[in-house]
Amino acid sequence: MASEDLPSEFDVVILGTGLAESVVAAACARVGQRVLHLDRKSYYAGSWASFTFNGLLSWIQEHTAGSQPETEELHDWSNLLEDGEEMICLSNTNSAPFSNVQVYCYTSEKDEEEEDEARSPEALNTTEEEGGRGGGDEDGVTEPAESHTAELKEEEEEEGGERRQEGAADAQEEEREEEQEEEQVEAFPSRPQVSWGDRGPHQLQKTCGLNILHCPITQAIQTEGEGPEPESGQPRPSAAPSQSEPVKKKISYAQLLKEGRRFNIDLVSKLMYSRGSLVDLLIKSNVSRYAEFKNVTRILTYRHGNVEQVPCSRADVFASRQLSVVEKRKLMRFLTSCLEETQEEQAFAGRPYLEFLRDQQLGDNLQHFLLHSIAMATEDTPTEEGLASTRHFLRCLGRYGNTPFLFPLYGLGEIPQCFCRMCAVFGGIYCLRHSVHSLLVHKDTNRCKAVIDSRGQRISCSHVVVEDGYVEAARKPTATPTRFLSRAVLITDGSVLSSESDQQVSLVTVPPSEAGGPSVRLVELCPSTMTCMPGTYLVHLTCQSVSSAYQDLSPVVTRMFRTPESHDQEGRPSVLWCLYFNMADGSAVEVEGHDLPSNVYVCSGPDGGLGHQHAIGQAEAIFHKILPEDEFCPPAPNPEDIIYDGETCTSPLGEEGEERGEEEGEGEGEGAGEEEGEGEGGEKEEKEQEEEEEEEEERDGEVQEKQSLKSEE
Amino acid sequence: MAIRELKVCLLGDTGVGKSSIVCRFVQDHFDHNISPTIGASFLTKTVPCGNELHKFLIWDTAGQERFHSLAPMYYRGSAAAVIVYDITKLDSFQTLKKWVKELKEHGPEDIVVAIAGNKNDLGDIREVPMKEAKEFAESIAAIFIETSARNAVNVEELFQKISKQIPPLENPEVDSNESFKLTRQPPPSTRRCC
Repeated sequence: MASEDLPSEFDVVILGTGLAESVVAAACARVGQRVLHLDRKSYYAGSWASFTFNGLLSWIQEHTAGSQPETEELHDWSNLLEDGEEMICLSNTNSAPFSNVQVYCYTSEKDEEEEDEARSPEALNTTEEEGGRGGGDEDGVTEPAESHTAELKEEEEEEGGERRQEGAADAQEEEREEEQEEEQVEAFPSRPQVSWGDRGPHQLQKTCGLNILHCPITQAIQTEGEGPEPESGQPRPSAAPSQSEPVKKKISYAQLLKEGRRFNIDLVSKLMYSRGSLVDLLIKSNVSRYAEFKNVTRILTYRHGNVEQVPCSRADVFASRQLSVVEKRKLMRFLTSCLEETQEEQAFAGRPYLEFLRDQQLGDNLQHFLLHSIAMATEDTPTEEGLASTRHFLRCLGRYGNTPFLFPLYGLGEIPQCFCRMCAVFGGIYCLRHSVHSLLVHKDTNRCKAVIDSRGQRISCSHVVVEDGYVEAARKPTATPTRFLSRAVLITDGSVLSSESDQQVSLVTVPPSEAGGPSVRLVELCPSTMTCMPGTYLVHLTCQSVSSAYQDLSPVVTRMFRTPESHDQEGRPSVLWCLYFNMADGSAVEVEGHDLPSNVYVCSGPDGGLGHQHAIGQAEAIFHKILPEDEFCPPAPNPEDIIYDGETCTSPLGEEGEERGEEEGEGEGEGAGEEEGEGEGGEKEEKEQEEEEEEEEERDGEVQEKQSLKSEE
Repeated sequence: MAIRELKVCLLGDTGVGKSSIVCRFVQDHFDHNISPTIGASFLTKTVPCGNELHKFLIWDTAGQERFHSLAPMYYRGSAAAVIVYDITKLDSFQTLKKWVKELKEHGPEDIVVAIAGNKNDLGDIREVPMKEAKEFAESIAAIFIETSARNAVNVEELFQKISKQIPPLENPEVDSNESFKLTRQPPPSTRRCC
């Protein structure tokens, strides 16, 4: 695609656009390094990417057993070697860290109007059809984004034009849209077959249950023929239009495809701790201005077959109906006291947190909340670790909202892109669909002097950062990661716990169903996070792998949602579509000890933790190896402060916001249990925290929630 | 007067004058050898429009378009997009369609699109007839204008036209699902009064 040649000299060449690589890229460019940032994929963020529904189908196709791995042609570029150099080839296959990809569709293929025809036995049997690799046209494999959205785009173009001219949708358009929908499904067999006909050696199973039971949770589903709801990508409630009568109708697969670009489905499921390393870095570097965030609104847990809300803020505790007055008092006392180290705790050092909790005589309810939802610990977690995570949780409360967590609009895949933009703004050069064939190493010094890119260009550099997947297995300290994660992604038609607001973002902790099993973390996203279409919820499940993702997670899905396998699930949301896959756990990938030159640094890919500490820590460590003297991600200048002095634009390195009024900024959410609990423990903690911050980073005046444009007006 | 922040993203091939247009608009300044926008995340300028103030946050591609690697996040939440071509380079006009397609794919659905034929001071070496460009713009319901960042022709007008097309805020009250930016500044309400 790009006919232009790349410059031939850089300071740092970075392969892979995952979070850690992107942070290193931004940090290096920010302090003046010339950065070349490449990714062999056609999209940003690698294993951290998020996809539209259609984009995800292409990804699935690419990662389904039996599909041809993308391989580059073999070239011999040894003529580019200079004296005293040797060549280290990088992995040219897509040794992607994903496996066991399985897809199930539990909704009807088409809309109900069309279902009458579709319900013929023949149509139902699509389930059993051996589609093989069917319509897997090669374009679909190599250029997923383009081929799979091609006709959607066209349709939108047409519709867009028409809407602008004619305004609201009329009956004609309704008809036309229906036609187009049908076309989509029928004229492009490759797409449906990705999920309907595909049965690779790994048995990509699927079930096409025409589940036409009543939906217990009535959702106002966008009715057919209504033009797509105006949606600007700006934050605004994008719930189903209220003017239309709620229609009890399940969203069909065709609708998921049609509204596919409203989905932003992350491969990784994490949340951002409001005082975690990622939030701190975003604010410190000013990268935060590229993105918007929402609060996670609820912490839930699954107990005795029910989903319950975990009271974690002070307000929650007092409002809770599940807790008795005695329990409320006990909980408040515990939360307040656990902020300070006590002798009691020390006595439990090395012993399980669970024992410590038992010793506190909290009772079953509270013990469950504290262990599973607040500390997110297991029964074996040692006391000091459990207390540390409890404290982190409490410290993060109230900075932005009533839970400790934030989620970025449009999904986590935005975050690496934001750091990439910062890198580009400081001169970094970006090239997707472009990789490095080999490293050229000076034999005497064992340092990488240059790389040869996938087009045979020699590019000299002083440092190389690579994502683990670009390294040949033979050069790794261990051939395969020792741990994997099991992931599931569901599109459902209702929330696991319905409430007054249908726009909740929930973290649900599901304790192991049997001792020793994995505890499952479930994140449920509503449409206003801009990750799913109106009338649906996007649910991410994550756990440490014990077995395949399907075996690990499908029991939880069957228990908590309505699927063809579940029994008596009145009142549970239905699963419309789901995906299971395993991925390497980045925290089990060695980043040291590779058989690589000393100026080549490896990033591990996403880990299974809830927060982002792992990737950010890794990025910072690599940055300091490359540039031991420089500051990591100093703030980028404010747009208003850039001075144009004729010849060049200069950016003052001064800090933004320092002189602006600093405000006491704990927002409305200050009801954090510990803060005003009993006594002054909490308050003191808070002050210390602030002093620390001020000393450390003078700039960190006060971080405040600034309402978005939408909400201001 | 209420200030409304509007993100505007610039699109178009490398070298057509995207940065020059912003520079002219925001700084009223033209630089013959403007270096790729180092260090500017976006530039801002506030213009009155009716009883609102429109604060444009103008995002430049930061060179990511050069090797066809613009990130989807670049388009997120844009109220408007300006697609720039160079009237003296037919190629840059032919790729307009590609940019429109990109925008339809990644941009918000109700985005206001403007097409700007830049370098209109170089009329004697023009390769793109104005009529053709205008017709194309009409076919996609986009604003069309020819500009010269160098001579400060039609740059203000371009943004005025955009301002006028921005739909008024519906439902200013509905805001139960607020999203927010993370910033070290206190919220505008307490920072200063406008």
